Amino acid sequence: MRRSPRRGLAAVATALVLAAAASGCGDSGTSSGSEGDGTGKITFWDNNGGVRTEVWEQIIDAFEEENPDIEVEYVGVPIADVQSKYDAAIQGGDGLPDVGGVSTSYLANLVAQGALDPVTDRLAESGLDQQLLPAMLDSVRATVGEGEELYSVPTSANQGVLWYRTDLFEAAGLQPPTTWDNFYTAAEELTDREHNRFGFTIRGGAGSVAQALDMMYAQSGIDSFWEGDETTVNDPANVEALENYVGLYNTVTPEADLNNDFTNMVATFTGGEVGMLQHNLGSYQDHIDAFGEGVVDGLPMPTQEEGGPHTFVSNPVDGLGLFKSSDNKEAAWRFIEFAASHEMNSLWNESAGSIPANTEALNDDWIQSAPPTQAAVEALSDERTTIVQLPYYLPDWNNITKADTEPNFQRVLLGEMSAQDFLDDLADRLNEAQAEWLEQQE
Amino acid sequence: MTSAVIDREPLPDTAPQDPPRAGRRRRRHDQPPRWQLFVPLGVYLLFTLVPFYWMLLFALRESGSDSLVPWPITFEHFEKVWNERSFDTYFFNSIQVGVATMVMTLLVALSGGYALARFRFRLRMPFMLALLCSQFIPGALLLVPLFEVFRELQMLNSLGSVIIAETVFQLPLSMILISGFIRNVPPSLEEAAWVDGCSRLRGFLAIVLPLLRPGLVAVGSFAFVHSWNHFLFALMFLSSQDKQTIPVGLNTLIGSDSVDLGALAAGGVVAALPVVIVFAFIQRWLITGFSAGAVKG
Repeated sequence: MRRSPRRGLAAVATALVLAAAASGCGDSGTSSGSEGDGTGKITFWDNNGGVRTEVWEQIIDAFEEENPDIEVEYVGVPIADVQSKYDAAIQGGDGLPDVGGVSTSYLANLVAQGALDPVTDRLAESGLDQQLLPAMLDSVRATVGEGEELYSVPTSANQGVLWYRTDLFEAAGLQPPTTWDNFYTAAEELTDREHNRFGFTIRGGAGSVAQALDMMYAQSGIDSFWEGDETTVNDPANVEALENYVGLYNTVTPEADLNNDFTNMVATFTGGEVGMLQHNLGSYQDHIDAFGEGVVDGLPMPTQEEGGPHTFVSNPVDGLGLFKSSDNKEAAWRFIEFAASHEMNSLWNESAGSIPANTEALNDDWIQSAPPTQAAVEALSDERTTIVQLPYYLPDWNNITKADTEPNFQRVLLGEMSAQDFLDDLADRLNEAQAEWLEQQE
Repeated sequence: MTSAVIDREPLPDTAPQDPPRAGRRRRRHDQPPRWQLFVPLGVYLLFTLVPFYWMLLFALRESGSDSLVPWPITFEHFEKVWNERSFDTYFFNSIQVGVATMVMTLLVALSGGYALARFRFRLRMPFMLALLCSQFIPGALLLVPLFEVFRELQMLNSLGSVIIAETVFQLPLSMILISGFIRNVPPSLEEAAWVDGCSRLRGFLAIVLPLLRPGLVAVGSFAFVHSWNHFLFALMFLSSQDKQTIPVGLNTLIGSDSVDLGALAAGGVVAALPVVIVFAFIQRWLITGFSAGAVKG
């Protein structure tokens, strides 16, 4: 039987299409780039585009004035999608910037794909490493988990803060929530469900697990995320801490908190009917906008006893990465150096309400006049403070703590799952991811 | 069925000499009370319009205000997003993407839809099936291959890449819909035009195309609105600030730790306004178009 020539042509065409599609998935395309001559145009991706555009434009203007032969093209990328955009550009083999804002929450992923140049030597040569907070440098190193190599220059970090309404506390005769006892007492005292007033607002939606970890370790005081190769998240002390925390839901918090992401949570607090909120320093300006100066204060996470030592989980450190594919690395590095300098780093962090990485900036006036930021810096600098390093280096970290377990956290809030079962499940996933990661390292 | 029988054969106690009264009773019997219509519609409208009111409220009231009415009214948020957050640029980029996608989708879908409706060829049904199946493929799955294709064509960071990608994803459904509309136009109309000396193209343009207007409005508005709202391709293929579109701009208003709700609401109004205006003008044709496509010819 003769085959139709048209059918043959169709088969060839189909095969070509499939081959083209297959080849489209095979190129990770991270060329090694070059140093360039230190002039010309560089592209910078801001990983928190829009919100920080204004301050970055100031920094870029100042840089271009000082380096008239370098032009910086600013691209603001929405924070929620920056990792996807980096991934698409890496897999697509083109379009990566020369410099990009990189958080430790996805730094390991970029390093694993070979997208970033190490900056350890450049930092040492420039002397900038002596000006940056050792804790942040350690955090960046620990994120990648490859020894001493640094793959981004830290510029800022955030810190979990317990925000509270000073006016409501005063009116109710309550002590500031410096200890966990004060916190739980205030949460109850400030709640008046009949009049739609609540002591606390909890994060039940996106980002809930990260926040729960912050609350758990701060209460339990457990000083390490790992005990050998096993995580400590389901340690009995953490289970008890989580039970206390989720017990707040729908007793001293609004029922609608079940779906709270940080936007809704901050909006609930600034709505005026809630006494306390646990969020980082980044929402400081929102509170001032909503209530004016002096109505809201922020404290580091409470301690077990008054004046006792703090336990914090490591917050993602923001930094600037030098991309391997850059054809103008010299100019790109000069921009990074400039942005991490005292004056520029201070300017950026004042705008963002974050903790600067540049140690000289820590003494600037704006920090002294922002009590929550100053308190966070002091707590971080306290030798007794323990920082539990979260394993941001695990490639599955974001999946595990977001898509995989956030729905379960909502079930815990609703009483459909116990805190023990939730943490056991979380621990199993983390232990498995850690084992895989260790295997890859070998 | 029962009511039809009753209509034809009045009940014995209904006086034949009193038809107007019987008519009134029939109308009362056939038509539900008005409240049964307006209460559900009112509740539905409430659910639909409250979020819009909320958006307008945040967009028009001053920062920090907790008033439930936008008074004193302020346009500071609009000025901010339009002038400081480059929404003027994003808006015109989105217009370009939306209009170009709509035009290209209509042109290609008309040709393809006509072929599917009027010609009988081998593999026609498998082709239709493949078009339907393509609707199951999410855009994100093809992101990297598309990225590579546009890179090879040196079209990355150009609005053209987004327009082509959007058009490609709009085409299957548009083609199926338009082929349905064309099937509803009797072929005899075209044949009459051919008898009068028209070519197939002339016959199509002069006879079929004017009859497709409601369908074209429906498909075109779908293509426009979808590309206007679509975020992924613009985010991934465009890397210059001056090339971004409205959905990407809206996302940049949500920071990692803080959100300017006033600016976000104002941006939302700017994003929603063209779609609302488009639908206000085309709703008549839109409903006709979809009902025409739903009837098999």
